[in-house]
Amino acid sequence: MKQYILLLLLIGLTISCAKLDYPPSDSLTTEELLNTPNGLEIITNGNYSLFKDGIEFNGVLDDNNSYLRQYFQMSDFAADDIVCGQVTEDPLYYSFTYTHSPSQANARYFWYASYKIISGANTVINYLENKSNLNDNEKQFLGENYFLRGFVTFSLVKFYAYQYNIGDPNANLGVVLRLSTSEPKEKSRSSVAETYSQVIEDLTTAANLMNTSRGKEYASKEAAWALLSRVYLYMNNYNKVIEYADRVINSGIFNLETSANFPNYYTNTLGSNETIWAIAFTPADNKGKFGSIASMIYSDGNSGWGEEFATYDYMDLLSNNDVRKSLIEPKLDASGDVELKNGLEIYYIKKFSYQDGDPNLSSPVMLRLAEVYLNRAEAKAQLNDEAGALSDINHIRENRGLANELITAVPAGETIVDVVLRERRLELAFEGHRLFDLLRNHQNIVRHYWGYHIPGLNIGDIDLDNPPTSGYDNLDINYDSPRVLYYIPIDEILTNSLCEQNQ
Amino acid sequence: MKNKMKNYLMLIFISFITTTFAQVKGVVVDENNEPIPGVNIIISNTNKGTTTDFDGKFNIANVQVNDVLEFSFLGYKTQKVKIDIIPKVIKIKMIPASEKMDQIVLVGYSSKKRSELSSAVVNLKSKELLDIPSNDVGSLLQGKVAGVQVIQSTGEPGAASQVRIRGISSISSEDAEPLYVVDGIIGGSFDPNDIASVTVLKDAGTTAMYGSRANNGVIIIQTKSGKVGKTIFEFKSDTGLKFADHGNVTMMNGTEFYNWSAELYRDPNNHQIDKIRFFNDYPRELSNKNFDWVGNAFKPAYFQKYYLSAKGGNNKLSYYISGSYNNDKGTFMNTNYQAISFRTNTVYKFNDRIQMKNNVSINTSNGNSYDYMDMLYSYLGVPWDNPFDANGNPKYIDGNTSNWISRDHINPFHNVENSTHNYNGFGASYDMSINFKINNWLTFRTTNRLSMYTDKGHNFVSALAAGTYHDKGYLNDEKNLGYEGITTNIFDLKKSFGDHNLTGLIGYEYSKNYWETSFIEGTGLPVGLEVPSAISTVSKVGGSDGTGAMESMLSQINYNYKNKYFLTASYRIDAASNFPKNNRVAHFPGISVSWLVNKETFLDKKWLDLLRLRVSFGITGDPNIGEHQYLGLFNIDSHYNGNSAAIPYQLENLNLTWEKKQQLNFGIDLGISKIVDFSFDIYQNTTKDLILRIPQPLSQGFEYRYENRGEILNNGIEISLSTKNINKKNIKWTTSFNLSKNTNTLSNIGDSFQMTINGISQIYEDGAELYTFYLPKWLGVNSDTGAPQWEKVTYDNQGKVIARTATSDYSEATYQKVGHALADFTGGFTSNLQIYNFTFYANLSYQYGNDIYNFTRTFMDNDGHEPYYNNMLPAPGSSRWEKPGDNATHPSMQNNALSKEPSSRYLEKGNFLKIRTLSLKYDFNKNVAAKLHLKALSLGITANNLFTFTNYWGQDPETNINRNDWAMPGVSDFKYPNNKQFLLNLNVKF
Repeated sequence: MKQYILLLLLIGLTISCAKLDYPPSDSLTTEELLNTPNGLEIITNGNYSLFKDGIEFNGVLDDNNSYLRQYFQMSDFAADDIVCGQVTEDPLYYSFTYTHSPSQANARYFWYASYKIISGANTVINYLENKSNLNDNEKQFLGENYFLRGFVTFSLVKFYAYQYNIGDPNANLGVVLRLSTSEPKEKSRSSVAETYSQVIEDLTTAANLMNTSRGKEYASKEAAWALLSRVYLYMNNYNKVIEYADRVINSGIFNLETSANFPNYYTNTLGSNETIWAIAFTPADNKGKFGSIASMIYSDGNSGWGEEFATYDYMDLLSNNDVRKSLIEPKLDASGDVELKNGLEIYYIKKFSYQDGDPNLSSPVMLRLAEVYLNRAEAKAQLNDEAGALSDINHIRENRGLANELITAVPAGETIVDVVLRERRLELAFEGHRLFDLLRNHQNIVRHYWGYHIPGLNIGDIDLDNPPTSGYDNLDINYDSPRVLYYIPIDEILTNSLCEQNQ
Repeated sequence: MKNKMKNYLMLIFISFITTTFAQVKGVVVDENNEPIPGVNIIISNTNKGTTTDFDGKFNIANVQVNDVLEFSFLGYKTQKVKIDIIPKVIKIKMIPASEKMDQIVLVGYSSKKRSELSSAVVNLKSKELLDIPSNDVGSLLQGKVAGVQVIQSTGEPGAASQVRIRGISSISSEDAEPLYVVDGIIGGSFDPNDIASVTVLKDAGTTAMYGSRANNGVIIIQTKSGKVGKTIFEFKSDTGLKFADHGNVTMMNGTEFYNWSAELYRDPNNHQIDKIRFFNDYPRELSNKNFDWVGNAFKPAYFQKYYLSAKGGNNKLSYYISGSYNNDKGTFMNTNYQAISFRTNTVYKFNDRIQMKNNVSINTSNGNSYDYMDMLYSYLGVPWDNPFDANGNPKYIDGNTSNWISRDHINPFHNVENSTHNYNGFGASYDMSINFKINNWLTFRTTNRLSMYTDKGHNFVSALAAGTYHDKGYLNDEKNLGYEGITTNIFDLKKSFGDHNLTGLIGYEYSKNYWETSFIEGTGLPVGLEVPSAISTVSKVGGSDGTGAMESMLSQINYNYKNKYFLTASYRIDAASNFPKNNRVAHFPGISVSWLVNKETFLDKKWLDLLRLRVSFGITGDPNIGEHQYLGLFNIDSHYNGNSAAIPYQLENLNLTWEKKQQLNFGIDLGISKIVDFSFDIYQNTTKDLILRIPQPLSQGFEYRYENRGEILNNGIEISLSTKNINKKNIKWTTSFNLSKNTNTLSNIGDSFQMTINGISQIYEDGAELYTFYLPKWLGVNSDTGAPQWEKVTYDNQGKVIARTATSDYSEATYQKVGHALADFTGGFTSNLQIYNFTFYANLSYQYGNDIYNFTRTFMDNDGHEPYYNNMLPAPGSSRWEKPGDNATHPSMQNNALSKEPSSRYLEKGNFLKIRTLSLKYDFNKNVAAKLHLKALSLGITANNLFTFTNYWGQDPETNINRNDWAMPGVSDFKYPNNKQFLLNLNVKF
């Protein structure tokens, strides 16, 4: 009997001390990844992919959430080029109505995704800054990650803080600057001025490090210069604007699309010499009806929700020969009239459609040559170089079907700055600029048109022949109103006691 | 013939000789004088014995005068017979163990008599369970066991219910479902018809034996086994019709919706409807168009379930073999479920010492599911639109279709016809166990299971369908595969010393599972093809796998003194791959004591069947945590520009360890005059070291980090009472009632945090209940302006409330705790009345005290925000503001800003009382059955979910209480409606 028991115990002992270590199959620890061949490239790719892909947030993987969708909606839906055609559960609605709150889902996700990119960038930056004798390849990745950190931080400060030239940038709060992955959990917001100087430092460092051209899908020396010209424009530092704009323009790499080609520019931004940097969407990245940028502003009848339209205010600026007009498409019914949705006329916007023939697919432009010209034109205008400004403006107009409508003199009652800003609005509409161009030029947001930015509006109220007058809310928003700022997300406020909320 | 006679005589002679010297022989019969094969007979205090043969006969040698023979058989009382004279021929009549206290109850790694229990344990036999045909044991337990809450939150064919034992004891746990143990082995699958008994273990006196897996309670399933005797076949059929139960949702008809739409045109100045503009925009003939969307999308559906089994056996081998087929059509368009399962259970006795059990179970299922949006649009379609053409085919509708009113220009009838959402699965498991009786007091058993599953989900949209995949088509195919092995090896000890009785076990267990998953998603499929190779643009390919392992040591001691005082102590050690090396091992002790007071001389009253006091304490853990939550990780499943991309995914925490739940239970069981059975339990369960997603500053790039922090306290009481109201020969009436109360409180969480889905928030905060809604408080409609109002709370510097005012500015409204998703009281009532051959059965279940966020009302009880969605008829007493002075429930459509934003406006009481089952059965007399060559025959009719008493103004109030990526507990979104079922039941034994 004893030998039975011994035998059985022995069996028990041999199966004991079993293996209990099983690493995950689709993840690597930070150390493992950094020591993998191509590890740096894979992390850097992840930082780019966060612009286009949504990630889980607050327990939900929501198709509506992606950095770029929020980037464009949170700016353009709050300005005067796009009208809201439908009350919706999607938090994009709060951008139209300015009913901002700390728990607003789009502003929370945008903050989170921004810092996720910064965290990934810091992983590369921390690793390479501690390594000596970097090769060209490593320098390029280091530069790209500095660029990404600079771009993302700059976008953050535009949304969550007063613009640089509103109030005192040394007193106004900017955003939390995250410069390393090993920082303490809690950290206070830097001032707007400190935030800008960090952005400039990141971008200049990036420009010096990047010497390889990996394609328009990735950051480059010229992209850093182009962005610097924009950042300095926001700071009213016009000489620097011109300096960096010149560097881009004189690099000789880029050309404006011609009038003949511009209508198709947005269907192939990566193949265009006008593009400096765009986020690459392959057909596999098509986010479809629920997640694409186009879905809200365009539909072929099936492809999108098509619930937001170009405003009359914008369309009225387009002259008949302007090829930019082709990027607005009225939806016509059988009798050729513009169709109504919820009482409003449907004018679709086509700047994010028809890459590879797909109405929901595009590779959104983050930086392009036309903007650099417009940055320089605005700087020249501010420096009273009227001829220089008009020359830059007309260079754009020549390539937009307006060769016969060049501007030779500032119209009566206007300034050269007005002329430049009107051209800037025409050219860069729907690309995430308009809101900030208004604010930093101390212009109010004026939306005296029917649309669901007016709280409580219903179709019974709408009379298209008579635009809404006083008595309705949200028709005018002052450029220096605190309402313009998005709140710091509730998640940050609750966990970071050093981080102050916007008032 | 001659030879045979010779042999026969010889046999008689030999048997006479042997009998003469030391033999006892005879026959064992049951209460009906039918012989019982397989009865165990041993000579007391020896290991000598035998069993009865096929005709109930036995023959036992070497018996001496004054020896005692013990006759034992499962389900019967053990009888002892003293042998006064040898040789002897005796006839033993076994008496059924109708005495509840002698029934054997499985409590995990061991079994006990009911009288020996010292824990909160409830045991149900298959008869008490199978009152409705179901694929899911959860729904069979609904309303029957105190402390077990069952929610049937969907009526989708084949869907399982949600089961919670004594509340919810984890926040992050991916699953609050109890642990199922089938035939003594953790995990496993079964068909409900195969169940012999179900035991629910509610306190740690018993569940601690399952250690880290037992936080949510344990449900032990024992499947049927063969009996020695002739083969008995059983056939059951349940067939019937079911109807969608839309609860209090009735969608408006054309006229009602026309009148609702007119409100859009009420002039804000003179408060009259601007009829000129209204009739211009909404032609009057619309009001006569009446398409019934709901009636066309949901149709009565057919249901059938068949079951056939055979059981029997001889002294060596017994068997139970069954098969069942289930064909379940859904009430919603093109939904259904089919399943086939087989089981073979055999026991083979090699000899008196060694026996082997082999259980094989195989099941396969497939079904068609549905798309959420198709269901939503089926409710919300405007009655003025007809989605069918003149030939009765669904129309193609897209954004360019004119003469279409319903929002989004989508025809769900057309979508359903041009899409597939199906799934299929296959699972198999093989259990092998060997019992080796080493000696009188020591047994070794090894119990092993190997199981596997594979399933596939298939979502396809044809290029013919309108919508985003028009002209392209879409396919998403997902495949899963998994294996699991588990081995348990145990020594059982059993010894008595006078009045001291001791049993115990010590054992080792190891389990390992492997899973893999892969999917492909893409567009561009030719019409007619729906396989991955037809995809022309692959948008995503994914796949991953994983392995988990756990090893455990188990031990248990049961001691009793004079069968009056009982003690059970157990200790389990688990080591699992889920945690960092230093924190892998966890210890789970459990102890319980009980005192059978009625066995004391001072309480030896004849009317008192049972008075028992029980106390138990123990620790359990939570298994449903992720695999690698302690590592700092980059996730590599995305791409940029076609190349691999990694995303910062998780922060490291090398101190992460087990959640542990301390459970204390006190109970009383009382039985009086064989009429009343009463149980009362009170418990306090504290889960410590909760694994929480502790929120991090988002500016670090991470939402949360897994840390051990906080506690959940579950306090509760449970009462169950069953009575035999009438107990005559031909009329028997029993009723049982149960009630449970559970409160659930969070503490030591630290900073509070919120979860938000669709703008609806729940707060996790010290002192708050789990799943507490955190929303602006709705204060109705301003009677002067018709605007919605919410409460604005003003606080002073100390955080004290100094004013509560009404505001119509939503952004000023104060978020506050306004309700909670978990019920305070749950329970049920069962009545069983037998009059001659008729049995009337009723089962009711109820729930009280929870709040439901009626999300569906934001769509279909709207204030004009959505003019092109149909609306439901509003709750009685509702009114819409028309002019100053009106006291209305619904705001003016002209002054409705943000009225549908999340607030307590949509929070409703979830109380209900549901008539779950009503049935009538007729059992034919045995002689009638015999004429048909049958052993038994019964016919019955059953109605399920006949009626629900509730004030909840939405679909059925049974609302999801799972927390997952897309659903918040207590929020009722559009769901597959539950079913009212009417069934015909046939049960035959032959």
